[in-house]
Amino acid sequence: MDAKTRIGYFVKNNLVLVTIMILAAVTALIEPKFLTVANLGNLMNQFGPLSFVALGMTLAIIGGFIDLSVAGIVSLSAVFTISMIDVLGQGGALIAGLAAGVAMGLLNAFIVVSCGALTQAKALFITYGLSAVYSAAALLYTDGATQHMSHLASRTDLFKAVGSGRAGFIPASFLLFIIIMALLHVFLTRTQTGREICLTGANITAADLCGIPVKRRITLVFVLSGVLSAFGAIVLFSRITTASPLLGANYETNAILAVVVGGTSLAGGRGSVVRTMLGVMLVILLSNCLNLLGVSTYLQSVCKGAVLIIAIWLDRRRVK
Amino acid sequence: MDRQLSDVILSVEHVSKAFPGVKALDDVSLQVGRGVVHGIVGENGAGKSTLMKILSGVYTKDAGTVVFDGQTIEKTTPMESLRRGLSIIYQEFSLISSMTVGENIFLGRFREAGGMRGTHQKAKELLEQIGSSIHTGSYVSELSTSEKQMVEIAKALSFQSKLIIMDEPSSSLTEEELTKLGDIIRQMRSGGISILYISHKLDEIFEYCDVVTIMRDGHVIDTRPVRELDRREMVGMMVGRTIENEYPERPHFAGEPLMKVEHLTTNKLKDISFTLNRGEILGFVGLVGAGRTEIVRAIYGADKVKRKEIQIEGEAVKIMSPRDGKKCGIAFVPEDRKQQGLVLPFSVESNISMANLKKLKKGMFLSPDKERKMAEEKISELLIKTPSPASVIVNLSGGNQQKCIIGRWLETEPKILIMDEPTRGIDVGAKYEIYMLMKKAVEAGSSIILISSELPEVLNMSNRVLTIADGRITGEFDPEKVSAQEIMNRAIG
Repeated sequence: MDAKTRIGYFVKNNLVLVTIMILAAVTALIEPKFLTVANLGNLMNQFGPLSFVALGMTLAIIGGFIDLSVAGIVSLSAVFTISMIDVLGQGGALIAGLAAGVAMGLLNAFIVVSCGALTQAKALFITYGLSAVYSAAALLYTDGATQHMSHLASRTDLFKAVGSGRAGFIPASFLLFIIIMALLHVFLTRTQTGREICLTGANITAADLCGIPVKRRITLVFVLSGVLSAFGAIVLFSRITTASPLLGANYETNAILAVVVGGTSLAGGRGSVVRTMLGVMLVILLSNCLNLLGVSTYLQSVCKGAVLIIAIWLDRRRVK
Repeated sequence: MDRQLSDVILSVEHVSKAFPGVKALDDVSLQVGRGVVHGIVGENGAGKSTLMKILSGVYTKDAGTVVFDGQTIEKTTPMESLRRGLSIIYQEFSLISSMTVGENIFLGRFREAGGMRGTHQKAKELLEQIGSSIHTGSYVSELSTSEKQMVEIAKALSFQSKLIIMDEPSSSLTEEELTKLGDIIRQMRSGGISILYISHKLDEIFEYCDVVTIMRDGHVIDTRPVRELDRREMVGMMVGRTIENEYPERPHFAGEPLMKVEHLTTNKLKDISFTLNRGEILGFVGLVGAGRTEIVRAIYGADKVKRKEIQIEGEAVKIMSPRDGKKCGIAFVPEDRKQQGLVLPFSVESNISMANLKKLKKGMFLSPDKERKMAEEKISELLIKTPSPASVIVNLSGGNQQKCIIGRWLETEPKILIMDEPTRGIDVGAKYEIYMLMKKAVEAGSSIILISSELPEVLNMSNRVLTIADGRITGEFDPEKVSAQEIMNRAIG
């Protein structure tokens, strides 16, 4: 194999990575400040909330589903957690918030499984409906008012650390993301339960007939997606110190974008959380680059949509 | 010369087609006469479907010429082929299930057919022509497989087809429907239509075809009038060696009762009771839809039941899910290999290990070494042909895929092995290997429940046969003492 074909293979198999490098190079040429330590820290900071939601979405998609309820989960768990700080203290509120994410994931799974909606399309509508329910619950819970963290009497340093703490120039949320991603990667690739999730996502009938407890695996997938979305919500409101009941809007589309761009297959079964990290990175760099180029936000949405369509097209070609 | 030309409807000369890494067709030539039923046989991967796809215009040939009805055909599309008078009826039908029969027959040609009224009128005439009374206003989703096939044939006739290619037309038909198909084929032949009949089932080739072309590894081995050939010779040419027997010698290891099933009742099944003995192969015979698959699915816990009592080795067991079934020592090779058995985008090794993940554990984690070892053992034990254990299973032939599924279950050391259509769509050589695996399994002390639509297969492999009709067990036979005819009579109910 000569050098040329080797480069060809590398580009083909690491399209996302190559695109990221090109984007980074272009951005660095346009804006010399791009490569400073401060800006790299900034970029890592932008990984923030979306990356956690995207990790959960990766699990859902590998398990054969698309969890559209994450938008509602982000909104409701954010306003719920922030309102609990005064009642339970920061540690208690953090746990209560994550528990809310688990509960919503369980409810998703319970409805999907008990309705027998075990195909991606059927479950899509259920989670879409539940997203509306969770969003509405957030509005009811707050009477539509934005909740403020800074106005509260309690100590909030734990949340501040999660939201905007740094170890050197590396943001704490980015470190947490890397740790959770590594754990999930090992879970998916090296444990029996992780393998069973992949098999269920790729062919639920075959997995069931092989004695894999598919309903329990589906439940686990939705619970993990719920709790990771709740964690994303906590990172988000900790950083901006407020939580609007509409906080989570559009999170589902951005998360799906990151997962699919990363190269996890929408057909289920195949994908990885590491790829999702690259997907998130690409989405962040893309908007960074477009911002630097002075492209309007409306046009940026068009670009995002185009990237998603290209990613799905590439995925289809891979399947064939 | 002139006369000779007009006698040949299709002439394929020196056609070749290569895909990356494989030469799918290598210098293939054959001639199909007018009004002749021409069979094509060959193992999977022999090049039958590639040839068909070149004729219909799905693929483009690399070299050679194709002359259809006196016209040389270079590049074509499926629609163009249809209009020229060449129809293909695929194994998986190309009908639109949410549309009516009439609409399907004249799909995209409503105006030519004279609007909706003309469409239904003409569709009715075409169906009557082949002796079918399907209502042209019914939706295709409501039709049985055989009725769908009738619609496909009517559609082919509506194009005034001169040549109809049928790909495995019998694969999901019952015996009765098959007889009907035979009548239609003979009728079309006498109407001057040529038929290219592609099948794995040699009985049908002998019954319907005038001429047969045998293919192997992308080559045409021979084209001969059917009456000049016998079965053994044909099989020998297909696999490139002579196969002495299609079936191994019947194993005799049956011992004491192993599993007792009593009062099994579901929406479809009516109070099924039977016993399976240790080391026995128990065959289920019945028409498609009689309830054979439903019985084994219900036993294995894959379907809901109203009532069931199961004893294994004298102990009552509760099987509520496939997971319970597996724990009780039951293994399940499902009828639809691709949909229910395989995880197609995954590797050979993960398809083998998927019923045995517990065995791969090393502490908390799965051990890739153990997985590789398990796969390698099965690959050598079952003679699975694959480039590597890490190869994606979708690229294997049907026979090798099926062996992976059987290997997956043998690894669980099952007491009871349920095999639903284990050789469907598999070529002769691989079939024999699967029969040998069954024999080995009963030698090792397993019992097998065998379901198959191929009567000779059940009769030659089983120690005992139960006939099933309309959700009931209608009889029990010793296949060594009773004729196939008698058993079939009972299975029809």
